[in-house]
Amino acid sequence: MKVSDIETFEGFCCMQDEYTDAEVLGGYTSDLLSDVMANAEEGSVLITIQAHKNTVAVASLTGIVAIIVCNNRPVTDEVLTAAAREGIAVFQTASNQFNTSSLMAQHLNGCPAR
Amino acid sequence: MRYRADFHIHSCLSPCASLEMAPRAIVGRARAAGLNAIALCDHNCTFNLPAFAQACAAEGMECLYGMEVSTLEEAHMLCLFDRLDAAMEMGERVYDSLPPIPNRSDRFGDQPIIDLDENILGFAEKFLIGASGYDLGTLLKEVHALGGLFVPAHIDRAIYGVISQLGFLPDEDFDAVELMPAGDPALALRYPILRNSDSHWLDSIGSAFNEFELERLTVENIRAALSARV
Repeated sequence: MKVSDIETFEGFCCMQDEYTDAEVLGGYTSDLLSDVMANAEEGSVLITIQAHKNTVAVASLTGIVAIIVCNNRPVTDEVLTAAAREGIAVFQTASNQFNTSSLMAQHLNGCPAR
Repeated sequence: MRYRADFHIHSCLSPCASLEMAPRAIVGRARAAGLNAIALCDHNCTFNLPAFAQACAAEGMECLYGMEVSTLEEAHMLCLFDRLDAAMEMGERVYDSLPPIPNRSDRFGDQPIIDLDENILGFAEKFLIGASGYDLGTLLKEVHALGGLFVPAHIDRAIYGVISQLGFLPDEDFDAVELMPAGDPALALRYPILRNSDSHWLDSIGSAFNEFELERLTVENIRAALSARV
């Protein structure tokens, strides 16, 4: 699965499309950014409700390829500008972290939820 | 004038603080502890600052008017003002941004708003401990625009400090960072350091403090003194 595939998922709004269309290697779900920094693996998507510019900073440091903001939390232009600079995609969804993680895991494991 | 200042003291408005933390009692204990400047910093709320201001004026204690804001990152930030009206304005904005979750006093403690004589005027209705609607960067800009000092609180605490929440100390226009009383100054990087008691009980007031040589206790003078330290 590539980052651009996420654009086709129902209910996912791509808010920042100037991204590197990398292969998605995994996912990490957390709202504690120090935990993301310590444990997220390169090439992952980050599933979170933290949508501020330090989320982008941590994503960039850890090699996160896309940020999925859950519960339709607002994302400011400042965040999108920072993400564009780093080539990191930003998606927004009304779905919560649990359901988003479940959906992403199914796609990553090759049996997409329908 | 030589100041010995503890800028992080909670009143009874903070549900986690002792009900004995009334403005006059705080000022009396601060004086007994050898302090001549203090700041009141309740969680996400400034409703007890008017009584605090009156108590300080009545007792001749110099003070700043503060608040400890929980940002969206769930990191605590001290916002310190030398003008009560500016502090109250920021306090209103932060309180309005809190989610509409009522306080459950049986679980978390009461949030009384009191006057100088400890009469209860009412209670802060929203639960004050949660995250406000402000992210760190936005809060910093608004506090500075209102003429306040912006100081990340207890950055070396295992919870609710900026390092525990983000994993690093961001490059921002902080006026200082607050360390725990025995915290490692290396964690503060290039920022000036404050050490305060974070008192929730009378006994601990003044257990950590900062010394300044200032003409007057103003935000501008404190900022200048802090930046001269690094």
